[in-house]
Amino acid sequence: MNFLFVDLWPWWLGGIAIGLLVPFLYYFLNTALGVSTGYGNLLKFILPETKLAWLNSETYKNKFNWRFIFIIGMIIGGFLSARASNMPFITSEMGLFTEATSWPFIAYIPWFFAGGVFLGLGARLAGGCTSGHSIHGLASLQISSLVATVLFLLVGAVTTFFIRLIVFRG
Amino acid sequence: MVKKLGYLLAGVFFGFTLSRSGASEYNYIYYMFTGENFKLAFLMATAIVTGAIGLAVLKWSGNKDINGQEIKISKKPLNQYTIVGGILFGIGWAISGACPGTALVQIGEGKIIGLFTVFGIVCGTYIYALLVQKNPQI
Repeated sequence: MNFLFVDLWPWWLGGIAIGLLVPFLYYFLNTALGVSTGYGNLLKFILPETKLAWLNSETYKNKFNWRFIFIIGMIIGGFLSARASNMPFITSEMGLFTEATSWPFIAYIPWFFAGGVFLGLGARLAGGCTSGHSIHGLASLQISSLVATVLFLLVGAVTTFFIRLIVFRG
Repeated sequence: MVKKLGYLLAGVFFGFTLSRSGASEYNYIYYMFTGENFKLAFLMATAIVTGAIGLAVLKWSGNKDINGQEIKISKKPLNQYTIVGGILFGIGWAISGACPGTALVQIGEGKIIGLFTVFGIVCGTYIYALLVQKNPQI
């Protein structure tokens, strides 16, 4: 059982499991896989009285619709995985980033917050994120998703080059 | 109710799988972008091929869901915002070492920093809502 619950899965197993979710979601729930649209539900949860037209569109009429449930499920999934593999309950680390920088913890807040702002605005403008575009969109052979995914990866690589150079100093 | 449970299970499955495959690890994303380790790229490629085969099977078997309703594939428009959004998203992916899905998974795993990323994504979504208010054709 260590293979499934303690050790990290090989890439092909994770790939097959995530890939199967696309047809399964369509077959059982007639729904397209996607995560970033659900952040609108979280936003409406924080601002229930908002007058902004977009947050009162059909998608967000019920802020506790399937997208909200799906997002909560994802958090639970991460929790179960961490418990199964004996990860610490709470950690202030973030892999190589917190290893390579020795900032006071408070300095990580604006950095990761800024990253999130780019992700949130970018995903909405592009019409999807890594799930909706790169997995669902490419699996359904959409040109728009190919353009978005190539840009995600290309710009991600260029940005990482500069982070390594300037923040990690090589 | 059954449907809601289905969405919850699908979410748990997705979160668990992302976490168990290392996709929510900062290092996996960093090393993919530096070209030192392509495991995450291989995972994505496998997922895309598996998903495409699954969708093709659904199409050949009549394109109907479990209730006999026609399956409608969600279409993603291609325009200038796909490009602007793609660039912004790529910057955000590299800065935070997470995407909107894996940031949620990080919270579940107990990585406090994931909370800042998630809050940032909510605010980025808010900026989008403000932009659409000013310029409805976005």
